[in-house]
Amino acid sequence: MSLVLVIAIPILGAFLLPMLSHRSAVLGRLFGPIIIAVNLGLALSIWQHVTLNGPQVEWIGGFAAPLGIVFHVDQFTAILLLAIAVMTILLWPRRMEDPIREPVLSLVLMGAASGLALSSDLFNLFVFYELTAVASYGLVASRATGPSQIAAIRFLILSAAGSALALLGIALIYSITGSLNLAYLAQVAPTLLSGPLGMSAFMLILIGFGVKAELFPVNTWVPEVYASASSRVSAMLSGVVSKLAMVVILKVLITVYANTSASLVMLVVGLLTLVSGELAAYRAKDFRRMLAFSSIAQLGMVAMAFSVSGTAGLLAGFAIMLHHLLAKPALFLLAERWGGHLDRLTGAAYSSKTGAILFLFLALSLIGVPPLPGFWAKYLLLTALFGHDQSLYYFAAAVLLITTVIEAAYLMRILQRLYQHKNSTLEPHRASELVPALVLGGTLFLSVLVAAPLGAALSGIARSSADIPAYIQRVLPVDVPKEINV
Amino acid sequence: MSMLAGNLDLLLLTALLTIVLTYAMGNRRVNGWCATGLYGIQLLFLIMMGMQYTQATTNLQLFSSSLTATMFGNHLVWEMSGLGWFFAVITVGAALFSSWYAAGAWSEKRDGMRLFHVAMAVNVFSMLLLLSSGDLLSLFIGWELVSWASYLIMTQRGGAAANAAFRYILYATAGAVAILAAIILLHQKAGSLDFETVRTYLAQAPNALVWVIMLLFACGFLIKMAAVPFHLWQAAAYSQTPGPAAAFLGAISSRMGLFALAIVLINLIGVARLIDMSIPYTFLDARTLWLWVAAITVIVPTFIALTQTDARMLLAWHGIGQGGYMLLGIMVASPLGVSGGLMHVFNHASYQAALFLAVTSVVYRTGTADLDRLGGLVTRMPLAFTTMLLGIIGLAGLPPMNGFVSKWMVYKSLLDANMPLLFLASVIGTLGTILSVYKLIHNTFLGQLRLEYRDVKEVPWSMSVPMLVLGGIAFITGYLPGLVLDMAAPAQAVLGIAPLPHHLGGVTAATGSLNMIWVVSILIVSIGIGALIFYGGNRTSRVHQFDNYAGGHFLTADMRYHYSHNFYAGLMRVIGPWYRGSVQWLETGLVSISNFSADLANGIYRNAYTSAYLLFTVVAGLTWVMFG
Amino acid sequence: MNVDWKILLVELILMPIVAFVVGLLLVLLMRKVRARIERRVGPPFMQPLYDIIKLYGKKTQISHGFIMDLGVIMVVGGYIAAEVFLPVPGMDGMAREGDLITLIYLMMVPSLGLALGVGQCANPNGSIGIARALTSMLAYDIPFVIVVAGAVILYGTSNLTEIIAIQQAGGLSSWGVAMMPLLAIGGLISSYAMLGKEPFELYIAPAEIATGPMVEMSGKYLGALFVMQCFQVYAVSVLYVTLFLGGGENWFTFLLKIAAVIFVSASVTTIFPRYKTEDAIRWLWKWPTGISLLGLAIVMAK
Repeated sequence: MSLVLVIAIPILGAFLLPMLSHRSAVLGRLFGPIIIAVNLGLALSIWQHVTLNGPQVEWIGGFAAPLGIVFHVDQFTAILLLAIAVMTILLWPRRMEDPIREPVLSLVLMGAASGLALSSDLFNLFVFYELTAVASYGLVASRATGPSQIAAIRFLILSAAGSALALLGIALIYSITGSLNLAYLAQVAPTLLSGPLGMSAFMLILIGFGVKAELFPVNTWVPEVYASASSRVSAMLSGVVSKLAMVVILKVLITVYANTSASLVMLVVGLLTLVSGELAAYRAKDFRRMLAFSSIAQLGMVAMAFSVSGTAGLLAGFAIMLHHLLAKPALFLLAERWGGHLDRLTGAAYSSKTGAILFLFLALSLIGVPPLPGFWAKYLLLTALFGHDQSLYYFAAAVLLITTVIEAAYLMRILQRLYQHKNSTLEPHRASELVPALVLGGTLFLSVLVAAPLGAALSGIARSSADIPAYIQRVLPVDVPKEINV
Repeated sequence: MSMLAGNLDLLLLTALLTIVLTYAMGNRRVNGWCATGLYGIQLLFLIMMGMQYTQATTNLQLFSSSLTATMFGNHLVWEMSGLGWFFAVITVGAALFSSWYAAGAWSEKRDGMRLFHVAMAVNVFSMLLLLSSGDLLSLFIGWELVSWASYLIMTQRGGAAANAAFRYILYATAGAVAILAAIILLHQKAGSLDFETVRTYLAQAPNALVWVIMLLFACGFLIKMAAVPFHLWQAAAYSQTPGPAAAFLGAISSRMGLFALAIVLINLIGVARLIDMSIPYTFLDARTLWLWVAAITVIVPTFIALTQTDARMLLAWHGIGQGGYMLLGIMVASPLGVSGGLMHVFNHASYQAALFLAVTSVVYRTGTADLDRLGGLVTRMPLAFTTMLLGIIGLAGLPPMNGFVSKWMVYKSLLDANMPLLFLASVIGTLGTILSVYKLIHNTFLGQLRLEYRDVKEVPWSMSVPMLVLGGIAFITGYLPGLVLDMAAPAQAVLGIAPLPHHLGGVTAATGSLNMIWVVSILIVSIGIGALIFYGGNRTSRVHQFDNYAGGHFLTADMRYHYSHNFYAGLMRVIGPWYRGSVQWLETGLVSISNFSADLANGIYRNAYTSAYLLFTVVAGLTWVMFG
Repeated sequence: MNVDWKILLVELILMPIVAFVVGLLLVLLMRKVRARIERRVGPPFMQPLYDIIKLYGKKTQISHGFIMDLGVIMVVGGYIAAEVFLPVPGMDGMAREGDLITLIYLMMVPSLGLALGVGQCANPNGSIGIARALTSMLAYDIPFVIVVAGAVILYGTSNLTEIIAIQQAGGLSSWGVAMMPLLAIGGLISSYAMLGKEPFELYIAPAEIATGPMVEMSGKYLGALFVMQCFQVYAVSVLYVTLFLGGGENWFTFLLKIAAVIFVSASVTTIFPRYKTEDAIRWLWKWPTGISLLGLAIVMAK
């Protein structure tokens, strides 16, 4: 069974969905979830296959690397595929809107995101990145309200400019090395890409993909978009899309630019993202904007984690990514009822008890209170930063700790307001919002109970993902000629 | 060290069961009694564990539990040592009495009782987890659980309590990140986080590193203890907590910081090392630093308490000050000093809880704790007066109560160690305490009875019995201090200090001994003789409070003939200008800086010129690449 | 500990009685000195005792409540207990079981009793008096504690019998006043403040607060306060003699030394007016404290 199915089926489904819903409303309503269920099944089987047989490589069309397109899946990628499918089903729009924009675009997003996770060469990554981007522009604007359309346009302009820069960077790499296959580049990078030209290419790629990865300073679109788009779209963007953009940057970093000063750039960018995100969140007066800034900060932490080379950095980054992937969409689901100015939330805990408890739990996990998973993620990050034993990394760790206090301040401020004794005018959360949020929260809670084996498994996954020589060996087996004539 | 598995498991499971049951029983009256009973069972388990310590050779025993985990290469283990056992007894005892007090008439017609009992149960469980931590990471997990449990118990009333609790949680989070930084630094350098490895590593680590680790740990733990300069949050937070819960917090909550600090400073780093680490350009060393922090913590909060007009704030500030005595005794690190510091933890818990419960009784009947509005209640509430009297004698550290014994031991250890200035500082604290607690009892119970309190009744038996029992415990452990000294001996062994030779009545040493059995007995007999002389005379006739010298005026009920406001006016004229509030200024400054930076960050994101940012970033990045 | 119960019992009974008798004599001495300086004859020999008997025997005894009674009982009882711990020539009492620090704190129990008793009198004059008394205690105890700390460190023990033994072992040159003169001066001044006589009489202040704590005390209550004064004068002077003047080798020199201390105090008292509260605090925290700190520094340097 080919990995292409994971991408092809959702996209095909997206095209078929409008036609089917025209024919029959019921079928239209069911078709989307069916496609996602199929995808979920595929992702599960991929996970099982990879766990039993190790990471897999698939050459599309039979063309071998480094000329052909390669799909590589290891355990972490399999988790990402699962996460994409699960998130899409949890964040599936409540009612079928007419026109049928949101479901269609969600399916496209699912397929494109899966492709992004699987791709193993720069151009394919770019193609799926653009596809994801187009789907997200549409999703942001799908509510057709004034602010969301303006936000979508600004987002589009910035993202398109970023994509153009990323393409420039990719072209630069191609012109130097003659190939876009990550494994091949990993082999030739130390000789060809270590000079200023190679580093400029990295900078362009970082800035370009950094738009979607919510890195400072090209993340100014984030608060606007998250505040004006529908909560579920924001949840998808912050939970899934931003992670995948970060994974793209990670792939480039650890294969092509390992052991260069690119790590330092990542650290600085991550640090600035973290600090600006937490401080702006402290100041935010709108619930969704606060979540947006918190999301920015968490991605800054991921960037800081990935700037540490080796298993420790990858482990920390994976932990934070997975934790944020579960926590933030749950918070955005709560924001469906609680979005808007923070003053509206006075006493909301008494009208929506479960929602408040869930918020408390997620807030504690984000701040990093043991034994919740958020603490272990921060612990791993701090261990990775301290383990690097350079003064800038110590400074980054200190900044991380200080911003934790600020994070506690703004999250507990909201919690205090929630529990204030006042008649709340807010309606309680509906089941359609609470149930997916509880599923996500529940998963986080369960992970506390199985923390030890989960941690061990994650360490193993990080170790295998960090093993670049094995990766190169898998994608470019020894008996295939590696020289390319430029 | 032999391990006795099983007992600790039972204890932790019972504590967990308490949480579940108190949650399930909701607002029913039986909830309080059920909780009290469960705390009694936990105390019983602890006593059974304590019976293993009967011989001095068994003082280093560890009680292990089956709770272990391995996270990312760290082996987390929970086992209780003698030090943890000592603090655990105090914790569960304090919870028992607070819950007993709250179980009876106090909780009638009061809503929020479920949260009250659940919060206390969560606190007890998390404290037991902290006290049985066997390595640094499990210590941190326990520490954070305790911090957040305290937040829960402080914030339950809402309103002003929630604001005070918010301030607390910010301080607590700042402390927690400092501790986490120290732990991860140790993990990186020492390779593992269990106590043995850390101790061996620290013994040969360079001084600069040990300074950093020590300061990080100490700042985190001192925030919980509310030592100066981290003292601003505790009084408001403790005084806003509902009465019995405030008694529990005041008794033991901040001592968790002392427990952790004792482990890190005395057990892991070691006093010899602390004396070795000198502060550059001065003749001081690290131990002197902590001794003086403790001394200032004794003086400053005590004199802040002197100016308070709310009885609960006054008691809360004294609680902070007494913590300084405990730290002082432990940092002197002689057998006498450490025993004194540890005993003071127990003693303070007994009389602080009694005092808080007495004040809560007054609030229950009169509706106010404002010292300028009360007075003369001794005839209406004699039992509460008795409790408060026992409590303030203990707090002031006068014979015959237990507070005197532990303070005597701290004073003696300071003099034996040739530290007269610290001795002076601790006595100044005691003197300030005497002034302040006299004001407390005078403004509440003595003086003129107001018209509106003429019909105030004594509190019901369900409330007066627990507080009288606490006062009784303070008296009995003052009479027979050997009881508490026996309990503190295992704790002292864990800290690595030589045991203190003592007997049931106190301490016998060549340079000055204390035998409380004799002292208290003679005091009682003498007072008896005084009573004989007194009652042997002519009969006295009781007169009304308005039959009083008033310079020729006739007193009436609407004339307020009571001196309570600005009780120490003369003293305040001298020391009033010395209260500058500099630490408050520091706190406000930090908040302002955060607000300013947050506004800056927000300003960046409000900008609509996103493309400009993009351009700027590209140019900057490429410039760095080309020329960097 | 091996204790001869009979001797102990005799000591326990005798020491308070001795303290009372000597205290009466000292009070008489104070009144005589004052009279002579004021060019009067002064009261007859037994006057202090007559005063107490007269007060005790009054028909009308008013009380404001049980705590007032209890307070006065604590005043007398507390001092009886304190005297047992103060060694005199020939009788060590309980000095083995309680040291200098215990003694100082035991001497605070009567003050607490007085404070409680006055509290129930419900008279603001009394409460103000107690507030002033506590304030002046804070003021004079600071130099006093410095002196005590210095003495204990110099002698190396806080056991009073040991201190006396050390001083008597070396003759005049090993007396406290010779070994630590500055501390002796500071101790003298703070002892006088402890007596509560002019210029530190702020807690009684007849002209301002109607004698403060004594405003509602009459009959046996006032008599108990008189008894307290006897004990207090005795205790303060004996403590000073024990710490600095070599204790008592025999009763004759002992009484002489005590009388000398009280004589100087009474002379000073008669001449000076009364300090205001804040002036008293400031003065006590400046001069005696400064002298004592200097003395302490010298002791620590040794």
